[in-house]
Amino acid sequence: MAGLLETPFLWVVATIALYAVAYWGYGKWVDRNVWRSDAKKATPAHMYMDGVEYFPVSRYVLWGYQFKSVAALGPILGPFIGIAYGWIPALLWIIGGNFFIGWLQDYGSMMLSVRKEGRSFGPITYEFTGAKGRNNLLAFVLFYLIIISATFIALIAQFWNAFGGTTFVPTIGVLLSGLLCGQLLYKLKMNVMAVTVIGIGLVIVSIYLGMLIPVTMPWGAAWNTVYWAAICAVILYVAAILPVPTFIQPTNYLAFYPAYTAIMLLLLGALLSPFTGVPVAEPAFVGVWNNTIGPIWPILFVSVVAGLSPTGASVTAWVGGAQALVSPLVGGKSANAVLATFFGLVLIIYALTVQALVTRFFRLVAGETWGEGRFHILGNKHVATFFGLGVSWVFAISGSWWALWLYFGGANQLLAGLAIMLIAIYLAKTRSPTRNYVIPGVFMVVTTLAALIWETWTFVNAAIQYVVYNNAAALAQQTRPPVSGVTLAALAIDAVFVGVGVALFLVGLSMAIRLFRTYGRSKAEGRVPAPAAADGGELENKSH
Amino acid sequence: MGDPNQPAEPKGRKRQKVSQAAKGVLYGMAAHGHVTAALRTRMYLEHLFMFITLGDMLGVPVIPPYYSLKILPYAVPNIKSWKQRVFRERDFTDQVF
Repeated sequence: MAGLLETPFLWVVATIALYAVAYWGYGKWVDRNVWRSDAKKATPAHMYMDGVEYFPVSRYVLWGYQFKSVAALGPILGPFIGIAYGWIPALLWIIGGNFFIGWLQDYGSMMLSVRKEGRSFGPITYEFTGAKGRNNLLAFVLFYLIIISATFIALIAQFWNAFGGTTFVPTIGVLLSGLLCGQLLYKLKMNVMAVTVIGIGLVIVSIYLGMLIPVTMPWGAAWNTVYWAAICAVILYVAAILPVPTFIQPTNYLAFYPAYTAIMLLLLGALLSPFTGVPVAEPAFVGVWNNTIGPIWPILFVSVVAGLSPTGASVTAWVGGAQALVSPLVGGKSANAVLATFFGLVLIIYALTVQALVTRFFRLVAGETWGEGRFHILGNKHVATFFGLGVSWVFAISGSWWALWLYFGGANQLLAGLAIMLIAIYLAKTRSPTRNYVIPGVFMVVTTLAALIWETWTFVNAAIQYVVYNNAAALAQQTRPPVSGVTLAALAIDAVFVGVGVALFLVGLSMAIRLFRTYGRSKAEGRVPAPAAADGGELENKSH
Repeated sequence: MGDPNQPAEPKGRKRQKVSQAAKGVLYGMAAHGHVTAALRTRMYLEHLFMFITLGDMLGVPVIPPYYSLKILPYAVPNIKSWKQRVFRERDFTDQVF
């Protein structure tokens, strides 16, 4: 049996304890001194209560909803960055990032929306930075959505191709069960509990069927991934086109149960590890440089937040780790086959449910961007979805997925940094302390832009290596088979990725400059003393 | 430590509170997002109906006021919140499920 220090137990307990300090210590302090929240003040949910868009919910419902929104594929696979730099730096960054940046952004966004009558990110950006700022954000979001789609399609294809092909049938099972549940719920008006029980039963049956009927492709890993990615794109097309209550909503609802069972099992496995004797298997610290992905700063900070190891092999290794942690709780090695299918399915449904929403969102943003004018055809829902998925599919099958992942991580965290700056602008305008937001905001924006530069440079460098030194291996490393086998195609894709990196960087930089300028102006306005009352403040002085 | 002058909370009530909290968290994780999405879907359909029947209240006359007046008594309770929702500033970022 492994010693207490060799198991994940103490680290999990210590992290939970630090989160408690963040909540009751730093969190309360920021709430009292920065936001100055007042429980007696009416929120928009009370002021505009209509039972549709505005209605109050309990703090527990809000917590559950927030937890569900945060816990997605990224944070679940996040700790696996340890494979690249060691698990200690990754854990430190997860704790430090959550302590000083993550919750501040989430809570700040919520409070900003509450103080701005429940408005969302877009209208607030418009208010602070004008029409140009909003268009800038729209452009950034479009690029960002394409990169997310490419990354998730690449991942889903890899997951289907792994685990002996046992995860494809359960995935289809979840989707069909979701469709059926939607019909039972909305057409036949069945009770939600009954529908949930039927749905979960069908998911369990489909996991069993998946093990009985593995689906594999015979063309080798490279070409298999191409076809799996195409199947994934077709499913996403259907999901984005069908009405939300028909497909996305019931499927996401049903997917919740296996996905969160997996989280609970992992947490339980870690907390009981001193009894089951499962040790931490990865090295604690490897170094500050990784030959494939580069330096620890800024790469660790964009990949671990976005949440996945940049080495492709660890994608399936994650399932091995989850199996090791949970199998002693559910019957030992005999449960390994079921657990591999189960955890493989969990990874896929996390990616697929998010990606279905992303694809739909892309077509809505495309409709907003190109709905009118010369390119209005691109605003058509079929054309927009086809275009978005087509480009993402090409990226997914041609770019090395870790390179895509780092672009995704960079763009994702840059968006978070920009949101923090938006919050800082509001705080400056209301003459509240801004330091707690500006420091993390500047750190995130600088780190993510540096990561985008680094990643773009790796593509530029690969092209230089080939053109100047005739080194095709560098080019092959930046792309994936089968494209990497055809040097000219690899060079073309490499050039496209340089373009994507430059575009992401420039659009992100322009948005950051806009926000920093607005922040500077707001801060300067805040330094000007408030105008005196018409009576010179006599009345106010009397009242004191 | 609790206030010694305050009567101790009965055990059953405490259990009820914990159970309510657990139910709230589960509902929040599993269903809250879907419930709000379903409400929004119904809202858009109702907006369509209100526009067709009582659009002249917002300056969009679609059917003659005679028929609108017949529907008016049934629509009165919803008119305030309807106007509030229709005039609300909307954006593409509202569309994320």
